[in-house]
Amino acid sequence: MRLVAENVSRSFGPRRVFGPLSFATEPGRVLGVAGANGSGKTTLVKVLAGLLRPSAGSVRLEDAGRPGSRIGVREAAGAIGWCAPDLSLYGELTPAENLEFFARVAGRLPTREELEERIASVGLDPRRLRSIRTRFLSTGQRQRLKLAYSVLSSPAVLLLDEPGSNLDEAGHRAVTAIVAEQRGRGSVVLATNDPAELALADERVTL
Amino acid sequence: MILRAAAAVFVKDLRTEWRTRVAINALLLFAFSVLVLVGYAVGPTRLTLEDRPVVNSVLLWIVLFFSAMTGLSRSFVNEEETGTAAALRLSAPPASVFLGKLLGNLALLGVVMAVVVPLFLALMSFGIAAPGLFLAVLALGGVGIAAASTFIAAIVSKTAAKGALFAVLATPLLLPPLVAAVTGTQIAATGPESAAGLDAVRLLFAYDGLMVTASFLLFDAVWRE
Repeated sequence: MRLVAENVSRSFGPRRVFGPLSFATEPGRVLGVAGANGSGKTTLVKVLAGLLRPSAGSVRLEDAGRPGSRIGVREAAGAIGWCAPDLSLYGELTPAENLEFFARVAGRLPTREELEERIASVGLDPRRLRSIRTRFLSTGQRQRLKLAYSVLSSPAVLLLDEPGSNLDEAGHRAVTAIVAEQRGRGSVVLATNDPAELALADERVTL
Repeated sequence: MILRAAAAVFVKDLRTEWRTRVAINALLLFAFSVLVLVGYAVGPTRLTLEDRPVVNSVLLWIVLFFSAMTGLSRSFVNEEETGTAAALRLSAPPASVFLGKLLGNLALLGVVMAVVVPLFLALMSFGIAAPGLFLAVLALGGVGIAAASTFIAAIVSKTAAKGALFAVLATPLLLPPLVAAVTGTQIAATGPESAAGLDAVRLLFAYDGLMVTASFLLFDAVWRE
């Protein structure tokens, strides 16, 4: 799947946040989005996720094997993974319950082993966290859980907005591992100010 | 797929509510306070036998209506306030979100009714001559209140003045089923099931069908930006 943005822009009232922009992601590749604070990186990622409508232009998914196929991002449930500072998981559920819930609403029935494996893949100890509610996790642990959530549905396109925020060295390695894993099944859009993370990108869009 | 996802939303909401008990406590505390106040101020003896069915029917549905106003908006407001709505929007089909939330609100209202109605009947010495009709009116009235409240909660959850707007939108939307529910309850109290009682049931059934269908059709536009 390719995520194609065509002349996309977004404004809030009279203020244009970004755009117009045109780009496409390619399977196996990482598109970096760079820009100063307030340049619209988070807004762009939300538009790409279908959480915000673009003020102009369009965002769609195209099947790389079927030229001309078009799916609106809002109709592509499960095809897009998202991890961002704005994302919150349910504080009253445990990490495994959170992942199980989001897998179930997306139509999957994961086993306990699968969930624990996914939690372990971002460097969290699933056994220690088995009975701990998410609101009692540290900010860094919650960020890692968000990373686990973002790839839960094996998305075709993974949108990462400041994925390394609040993470320690091991957390940054988890981000690198998630990006490498995603390269094997689809593409990544990585919006960040961190030069080390931007170095993972194959192409770059600067806002 | 939609039913399975709706069941997941329903179970998640029940689990969260069980662990925090915020909505159920607010609903029950409000209902119990009003119930005690009504029992103390009006009571069974201050009403003439003729007035009892009318006044008690109105009071019962006032208690249920305002209890619903107190707690049912939390279903969506909480998702927006805690920031979980975005992940839910991205992961779940909109219809399943609405259905799951509606089931959650029905469960909450069911618990409130199960506590409030027997207490009200006992405190007010409110006799019911047609229990079948009474139960039908309660069930259909409850579905109407829950469906309208769920949909309105989705609308107001993204606004600034959530509580005030919820009441402003809910009052006109819930007046028709409340009038029918009060009439049906009054008929159930006074005599055996009659044509007028069945008319109230039909009206409630039609309202519920209309409300649930319209909510399903419009929810996608309300739920997404």
